[in-house]
Amino acid sequence: MIGSGIAGRAVPAEQSEASRTPQMQSLVGPLLTLATYAIAFIFFFPILWTLLSGFKTEVDAGASPPLLFFHPTLANYHSALLETDYFDFFKNTVILAIGSTVLAFLLGVPAAYSLAIYSTKRTKGTLTWVLSTKMMPIVGVIVPIFVIYRNIGLLDSRLGMVFLYAAMNMPLVIWMMHSFFTEVPRPILEAAGVDGAGVGTILTRVVLPISGPGLASTGLICLIFSWNEFFLAYMLTAGNAGTLPIYLVRFMSSHGQSLASMSAASTIAIAPVFIAGWSAQRALVRGLTMGAVK
Amino acid sequence: MSASTISVPDAASSSVTGRIRSPRIPARLLLLLPAIIYLAVLTQAPFILTLWYSVHKWILDQPDLGRPWVGIENFKYAITQDTVFQQAVLTTLIITVLIIAVSLLLGLGFALLLNRKFFGRGVVRALMIAPFFVMPTVNAVVWKNFFLDPIIGLFDWLLTSLHLARVDFLTSYPKLSIVAIASWQWTPFMMLILLAGLQGMSEEVREAARIDGAAGWAEFRHITLPLLARYIELCILLGTIYVLNLFGEIRVATQGGPGTESTTVPYYVYQTIHDYNDVGSAAALGVLAVVFASLIAAGLLRLLVRTFREGQA
Repeated sequence: MIGSGIAGRAVPAEQSEASRTPQMQSLVGPLLTLATYAIAFIFFFPILWTLLSGFKTEVDAGASPPLLFFHPTLANYHSALLETDYFDFFKNTVILAIGSTVLAFLLGVPAAYSLAIYSTKRTKGTLTWVLSTKMMPIVGVIVPIFVIYRNIGLLDSRLGMVFLYAAMNMPLVIWMMHSFFTEVPRPILEAAGVDGAGVGTILTRVVLPISGPGLASTGLICLIFSWNEFFLAYMLTAGNAGTLPIYLVRFMSSHGQSLASMSAASTIAIAPVFIAGWSAQRALVRGLTMGAVK
Repeated sequence: MSASTISVPDAASSSVTGRIRSPRIPARLLLLLPAIIYLAVLTQAPFILTLWYSVHKWILDQPDLGRPWVGIENFKYAITQDTVFQQAVLTTLIITVLIIAVSLLLGLGFALLLNRKFFGRGVVRALMIAPFFVMPTVNAVVWKNFFLDPIIGLFDWLLTSLHLARVDFLTSYPKLSIVAIASWQWTPFMMLILLAGLQGMSEEVREAARIDGAAGWAEFRHITLPLLARYIELCILLGTIYVLNLFGEIRVATQGGPGTESTTVPYYVYQTIHDYNDVGSAAALGVLAVVFASLIAAGLLRLLVRTFREGQA
């Protein structure tokens, strides 16, 4: 292994197992596992460090060399939460995320159901078109939205943002739920149909309960995207409908060098997404690839 | 099942609503159309308006100038004279390619590491996905202040501990700093897709390859990689589409600077509409951005299809 000059020849340890003695083979596995732990730790470190710094005093947070051990304090959380308008932004973020997800579901789920159950020659084309709306670079539509919102008073309003985030997430809802609905066994639907159930009944009483996990993870992914969205929020909101990403930018310009309070503010801004994201882990790939990868 | 008791009133009510609405519209369209119309109104209509605005001169805070028709003037200016825009296109291209390349390579490495059985795999996986959940602004705030800051950053501490020269990363290497920040965020995305690909691979194929004597690099090169091709393609395509819109990181970490060195197309459009209130120019830039993105997507698709076809031959 040592000094194999050409990059392509530098065979990773695991892969030349076959030619190794048994003792070495038994070492390779644990070593690789250790390396994996180390890499995961380094990769996660920025988040860990932010979390830790939130519990430090300002002096400790800015200390050089960096402090690993310190007396934890909750003062930063206290001041970030109570002494700024954090809560207004938090409330906006929750309202926009939930409102837009509900709207995207109300329109997207029936559409996905229709595309999955009554598939016609045009279904594929429709799905592609839906996807293309998501692929459109946001700068291609932002100018008229800005101008129109400005004229009709939707600038810096929660309602206006709910509309946009719903449109942003609807392709995802349609594609993901389409992929879940096509997995519902046909005989179940046919049986319900024979029993005389209407389309609405079949959807709400038969299909949706079966697709529960799919609905939940799709919803969580929508929440994450709305929660973290920045470009639209930055262009179209200010103090009234601003969300946490906006709060963070403002906080940074006013408390730029206060690392500890900045960390506390960051931690509470991202914590809900971690909970949502880790719970939706299994369906995450499906969501990110619009159902293309299961 | 008690389906019959449910179905009777429901069948009646649905036929009633059917009559009230229009009996001619089938259920299929009733379910589908609201979403389609909504999407068309909120995404396609604005694009058509963008086209319309782009052929006018229109400054929002100067209403006395009116909105005269200027034809392709805005486009002509952007393409032939606007050096900031030209630079922004190049910057966007460079940053996007580097982010995709770095996160794809790291993501592939991570996916290979995770595709083994070992103790604590679930936790490791959760830790490695984590950066993807961090909102872009927090991501940039954390990197800018904790790591890249020339005075209090951890990298600075590392450098000075090693008696190396102090580096102001965001000023000296703005593009690479953005690439580092964004790659950290996008690596989990690539990793998740590639891991799904690896786990979908049948063990039998690998087993057969091993019996045929393919091991190590050969197995990876001739078995794993071709089987992953479709997933890599997806990573590149989707990644490009998302990363072309990169904005938050740039707004927080560099504000497009120093000068205009890290100004990308989305950032420049933002400045044109937000700072200069120039609707016409911003719209033209928006249209060009869409064309730019479509060209890249179309080119990528062809390139990828060709590469993988050759790879399989």
